Parts: sequence; C-alpha cells; structure tokens
Amino acid sequence: MKNSAFLHFLTLLLFKQRSKHSGAILISVIIIFLLSAVLFLSSSLQYTLLSTLQRQGDFTVTRVEAGKAANTPTAWVDDILEMNGVSHVAPRVYGRYFFTPRGKSFLVVGIDFFDEQNTQALEALVKNIDLKNFLSRESMIVGEGVKHFLEAHYFKEDFTFKTPKGTFKKVHIFQTLPPEANLLANDMIVMPIDLAREIFGLHENEVTDITFNVPNDAEWDTIITKLHLKFYDVRVVDKREVKKAYKNLYNYKGGVFLILYLVSIVTFILILYQRYAMVYSTERKEIGILRAVGWSIKDILKLKFYENLIIVLVSFTVGVILAYLYVFVWSAPMLSAIFLGSSNLENHVSFVPVVTFGTLGSIFLFYAVPFLAAVLIPAWKISVTPPKEAML
Amino acid sequence: MNEIVMNNEVIVYLLSETLLYILLFIASIVTVGVLKKWNFNHFTTEQFTLENRSYLVMTIILFAIVLKIILLPYFVYTINALSDLVPGAMCGAGVIKANAYGNPLLLIKIVILFLSGLWLSINHLDLKAKCYPYMKMKSWFFLFIFLLMSAEFLLDILYFTHIETTKPVSCCSVIFGQTAGVNSLPFGLDIPKLLTLFYLLFGLIVLTILSDMAWLSMVASLLFGVVAYYAVVYFFGTYIYALPTHKCPFCMLQDHYWYVGYAVWGLLLLGIFFTLDNALISSLFHRKTERVKKISLLLLGLFVLLCSSYVVVYYLKNGVLL
Amino acid sequence: MVILENISKIYHEGTPQAFEALRAVSMKVNPGECVVLSGVSGSGKSTLLALIAALDKPSRGKIVVNGELISKLPDLHASAYRAKTIGVIFQHFNLLESLSVEENVIVPLIHSGLHLSTIDSMAKKSMELAAISHKASQEVKALSGGEKQRCAIARALVHEPELILCDEPTANLDRENSLKFIEILHALQDLGKTIIVATHDPLFEGLPFVNRVLHMEDGQLECGKNE
Repeated sequence: MKNSAFLHFLTLLLFKQRSKHSGAILISVIIIFLLSAVLFLSSSLQYTLLSTLQRQGDFTVTRVEAGKAANTPTAWVDDILEMNGVSHVAPRVYGRYFFTPRGKSFLVVGIDFFDEQNTQALEALVKNIDLKNFLSRESMIVGEGVKHFLEAHYFKEDFTFKTPKGTFKKVHIFQTLPPEANLLANDMIVMPIDLAREIFGLHENEVTDITFNVPNDAEWDTIITKLHLKFYDVRVVDKREVKKAYKNLYNYKGGVFLILYLVSIVTFILILYQRYAMVYSTERKEIGILRAVGWSIKDILKLKFYENLIIVLVSFTVGVILAYLYVFVWSAPMLSAIFLGSSNLENHVSFVPVVTFGTLGSIFLFYAVPFLAAVLIPAWKISVTPPKEAML
Repeated sequence: MNEIVMNNEVIVYLLSETLLYILLFIASIVTVGVLKKWNFNHFTTEQFTLENRSYLVMTIILFAIVLKIILLPYFVYTINALSDLVPGAMCGAGVIKANAYGNPLLLIKIVILFLSGLWLSINHLDLKAKCYPYMKMKSWFFLFIFLLMSAEFLLDILYFTHIETTKPVSCCSVIFGQTAGVNSLPFGLDIPKLLTLFYLLFGLIVLTILSDMAWLSMVASLLFGVVAYYAVVYFFGTYIYALPTHKCPFCMLQDHYWYVGYAVWGLLLLGIFFTLDNALISSLFHRKTERVKKISLLLLGLFVLLCSSYVVVYYLKNGVLL
Repeated sequence: MVILENISKIYHEGTPQAFEALRAVSMKVNPGECVVLSGVSGSGKSTLLALIAALDKPSRGKIVVNGELISKLPDLHASAYRAKTIGVIFQHFNLLESLSVEENVIVPLIHSGLHLSTIDSMAKKSMELAAISHKASQEVKALSGGEKQRCAIARALVHEPELILCDEPTANLDRENSLKFIEILHALQDLGKTIIVATHDPLFEGLPFVNRVLHMEDGQLECGKNE
C-alpha cells in the first residue's frame, strides 16, 4: 500500500525525535486529564441525579408562609386526588436533624412503607429488606456516612433523637444503605412516616410536602394553574424545572472550569506556537535535505501534519484513560470534594461510569483544534524552507 | 443567554469556530497579497515567496474544511443537547427555530462546505498544471467564500447569544407535522407524486452522470436535493420513527434512532457535492473525472437505498405501510 | 540531455547588495557524458548545479533537461523532477544523522507510490553499488567520512536517476576515499548515467572517463579541454 512507506518513515522519525515532542505531550496529557476528569465527573453526577429524579413524582407541592416552606396540610391530598389527570398522590415527611454537639446534620426521610412507589424506590436502594421485621419496632435505615458518624459517637445499635417537644426517642439502626447510594444518601436516614413526624414535631394532619404524577405531559401546565387557583399559599415544583436546574448547575460548574481551561488553552497555544516557531537549525537542515532529494512542500506539510496528529491522538488517549481511571476506579480524590462539597458528613462515593461519544468528542475538539491551529503556521513555515539555504 | 453560552458543547463549538476564523482571516490577507503581486513569469524572490505563501492559504483552507466537516455534525449534536434547556424543544428542530438566525446559519454552513470543496478541487487542478493557471481565479473565489465565512461566524455568535431559555419554542410536530398546515409540501405535491419525482430525479442523475451531461446532472442534483429533503422529512422519516405523524429532520440524529440521521443527511449532501464537483470540473475545466463520478453515484445510490430500506423493512415486518 | 541557455542568477536583485553569481552561462551536456566543472570557490559552480537540480530558479534564461523546461517549474513539479531524474551528492553529505544508512537511502522513494518491499530491494541494490551494504543498519552519525559519502551516493542512486550531480564531493574526504569515489563515478558512467561534477580537487584532472572539463570563473564559463 502506498502509504505504508510513508507511515513507516513517519513512525521512525517520530520515535527518533521523541524528546523534541515530549514537552508538548506532557502538557497536553495534563490538560486533557484535568478536562476529562471534570467532564466525566460532572456527567456521571448528572446521570445519577437525573436517573434518581426519574423515579420521583412529577410534581412536588408545598405550602409557603412568608415565602418560606411551611408544613403542608394533609387535607390537600384529597383535594389534589380530586383533580383530573392526577395519579399517585403521596405525602412526604422529611427534614434536617441537627446533631448539635458537632454541628452535623442528617437528612431524615419519612416513608409510608405501604405505599408502592415509595417502597419500590427504597427497594432499589436496599435489596431484600425484611419489612416485617423492620416495622415490628421503631427502626431506621441509615446511609453509610451516618453509620460511621454514629459509631464514632458510640451509637452502635440505636440512636436517641431529641424531639421538639423535649422528649427523647430511641430508634433502632436496622440496616445501612449500600455504598452505591452514597452520592445522594450518605447523610440520609429512612424511617416510617409517623416516626419522622414525631421526631420533627409535626401534627397528624401535617406533612412536609406532597408529590404526585400527571401521566399526560400536555396537562402539566393546566394542573399548575389549577393548583394555584385552589390554594393561595402553594408552591409547585415540576420535574422539568428540577431537571433544568440540575443541568444548569452542572453546566455552570462545568462552565466555570471550562473558562479556566480557555485561559490555560490560550496560554498553551502561545507556548506551542513559540516552541514550534523556534525552528532549530537542525530541523531546518533536515527539511532542506528532504526537499533536496525530491520531497515537495506538500509532502513535507503532510509529514508535519501527521506528526502533529499522532501527538494529538497519543496525548488524547493517554489523558482520557488516566482520567477514566482517576474518576471511575479511584473515585476522584480531591476533585470530588469540589463537586460534592464536603462540609457535612464524610462521604466515600463511587461514580457511575458515564462516558458518551459526545463528551469524548467535545474533549477531543477542545484540545485538538487549538493544538493543530497553533502548530499550523510554524509547520508551514518550516515546510517552505528553501532547500539550498537550509543546507548551508 | 448565559446558560446557553455556559453550556460545555457551546463553548467548545464557539472556541473552534473562533480559532478557525482567525486562521482564515490570516489566509484572506495573504490571498490579497498574492492577488496584488502574482506574476508567474517573474523570477524574483518575491514571486517565489508568493508561491510559498499560497501553500499557507491552501493548508489553512484544507484544515478549515476538514474541521468544518467535523463541526457541522457537532453543531447539530450541540443544538440537540440544548433542547433540554429550551422550553418546548424536544430535539434540535425547536432549538434551531429559537431565533431568526438558526435556519440561515445552518444553510450557510452547508453552502460554505460545498464551495470550499469545490475550491479544493480547483486547487488540485491548479497544482497539477505547470504554470498555476487558476491562481487568480481561485484567489478571488476564496475571498468570496471568506465573506460567507465571516457571515457564518457572525451568525454563530448572534444565534447562540439570542436563544431564550424562558420563551417556549415550537416542537417539530408543530413545525413539520399535521398542525403546520394542510399541506406543507411545495408546489402542491402530495406524497405519491413526491416519491415519483424522488426516484425519477435519482434515475436522471445516474443517466446524466454516466453520459457526461454535466450541466444537466448539476440541475438534476440540485432539484434532487430539494425533493429529497421533503421526501425524507415527510415520508422516509416517518418510517425511521415508525410513526406516521412524526415528521422531523432532526430527531433521527439522536441516539434512540441509532444516529441514522447523520448517515442519511451525510450521504445526501456528499452525493450532491460530488455530482456538482464532477459537473463543474468536467465542463469548466475539461478534465476527466472518472473517480468522482463513481463516488457520487455510490453515495447517492446508498442514500436512496438507505431511505427505501426503512420502508421495505417496515412493510416486511408489519405487512402494511404507514 | 541538459541544455542551459543564457542562464543568469542574481541574488538580491534590485538592491544595493545585488550580486551576480552567474552571468549568461550557456552549455550543453549530452546523455552519458561526464562533465567536470572546475573553478575556485565562489566561481558559481555550486549555484549552477543547484539550478540544474531545480533547487533554485534562475533570474534569467532557460534550462531544459530531457526536453523538459525545468527553470520555471512550480514546486510540485520541480520536486517530482528531482525525485525522478536527478541524484545529488553534496559536499557535506547532507544525511539525516539520527537515522541509519538504509533509512537514509530510502528517503527519496517514500512518496514514490511504490510498495515498501520494492523500495527495500531498490535500496539494497543501490547500497551494493555504493559498497556500503555492510553498514546498512548503522546510524549515520557513527560512520566515517568516506562511509558517509558512500551512503550519500547510495541515496543519490536509489531511484535510478539519469543525471547525477556532485557538488565538491571529495572536499571532505581523504585521498584514499577520494580515489574510491572516483572509481564509483567511473562505474556509474559505464552504466550510462550522465554525470556533472563541480569540484576544484586536482584529482579530477586528467581522468580518462571525463569527457569534458569546463572552467568557471566569476560566474562565467570559459572554454576548456574538449574530448
């Protein structure tokens, strides 16, 4: 094949001149690694959050008082059930319980265990939960972070909550959530809804919020209007908004990083341009020799282009593989703290590997285009070296 | 606006377009210099420098066209990804219609790719000759393309900075579907007539290419491009989606349809490009173009085959047509 | 085979530093001839050779090689001409130091469109002719002067050119190697190659296989010994 002689020569030349390109490859790998790690992390987080969101109700309704979320009357459940197109109304009780000595908090979520949707969601988290046993006494299921924290404070089998009424409530720690849930449930405690009510001092006819589904997309806007007409102090959040908010969050965070990269890429371009424009006399001589024995400018440009393309491909592959290992095998130490925030409980998260063509394509373009653009003019400049001058 | 621009894909896209534009701008300045002073019969060092500089222009244009070929599907991918942020949009169709710049932008991109491809063909011929006979012509041609590229760059920025995330846009079912109007096909055609025209024009292209009727093949292929667009959106697309009311040129580019849209539109555009290329080169420059003919026939043939296969497979699977 | 008509080369034309390296040189070299251009350094012989090799373009005049006008060729064609018709041997060898002998020898053929195996066999043949096969895989920077020159000869011959141009080929060689080089030249002429040598080495005087010696001085050709 015609190209095999050229490829053979190209690899030969690259190998013999590898030290010349090592600087560019090193910086490239670092940039790609950082960029890929950030993108892998954010797309993995987005994926997890969005797939969790899928299982939630379409709408969440809370009562507001003076603009702040307040306890929602259980009576609303019946009103909502009456509306056409609404299915599966589920009241929820949850809140933050503060462990005052340390200033840390747990997210306490009360679930009605006889509700199918909720149990399905829970079963997705905890396989083979022995419901009968669980419900036989006052028990709770805790996230890993909670478990470790409680153990460190000598709460091994039970934990005693302090209720707003001033009483104490001892609850048995039944099971721990699996580590896969750590992303969202690290500081979570799941318990029966009435128990949660007791701990937060809610009345029998109060819940924190109400979720429900509306299977027909086209009716969503109508439902929102109806809700506002029915209750004057309601706040309605629908899934679309949450999805958009999540996407924006990760785009924003990712965007901030990307701006940082833009700055570093611009510096990178300048460095590259400088480096490759500083044509050492040996390289000029070599190109002059090639021209003298019959290589055209086109041939030399071809050589230079493929040289740079191979550098790009090698750096890209190495950088991406390293980033993959860093995020999905070693769970991104340090970087995950930036994305998740580590101020509450200690969290040992592992990330779901989510790598799409689109992400890889974006990383590749973001790196390859500036690189090739930066070396294009220096490559041309050296390709048009007049053979006679170069050989003197 | 901010959310759109902060989107990862948009940043990558705009960065690439900006860098490309800078290089092309440099190329245009060099081209002006070449135009002013080019005289092949001079033996001065200046003339030799100009020849070297023309290689810079060539390299930049080649780089630009390769990149623009990659950036076009990436652009489509980006706007598909934006459909989550724009209310009402389920695919790129809605996002493109988010403001007045979307459609012209897409169109100008395709035109630029076609013209750049033709430029490269002319450049190839120019290099093969021994006295750069087309240097002036191709320089003026490039400057014209550069004007279009400047417009494209401007449209890029205007488009992305004017996408509202609070104003809902129409979804493709509104733009293309039943709700768009009784008959959205041009010239009052209906589906059977459209299909007849589709296959007839394809046959005509094959004939005119094989019998070297350059101008006729050019006209036929341009007509075929328009007809094929409507045929794909209003007929073949419904078989790709297996839904008679789903008429959209963008949805087929998404992953749940195996990205077949890229193959469909890619084959069509490339096929038409090579037909035009063949026509121009053989008629204006009187050169033999056997390879180009074969490529254009192959691409258009594959396109027709791909579209028809969806209908055939559906019929075989279900025993009826939609 | 090679016809030069009124060739002039002026560097920095139009400026105060203008320098006329060649003035109205006309000459003709027939196929199979071996011509020696003699003259001191600066007389313009290297410039003339560079013009014939299409490594540079004349300011005025015409150069025709094998019926083809090569003085005005665009780069693509000039390099194709070099790759097909010419083999050049330089004074400073001009080899790629980091590569081996064999790798240097195949360089002119990389863009020829030939299969790698064909290229390899052509390289072997050429290295045998230049008596350097035994060092084929050795890096050039480890070779002696004479060996480097023979590597350069092998490279100049690998694509089987009709015209061989030598620019001061023995300037960096000792006497023994210079004589070896002259032997190889003789062998090449026997093979029917046309050879032009630019040199001021006295070893080239009175060689029996040299058809003509042309003397150059100050950019102009003077009549010399004819066959």
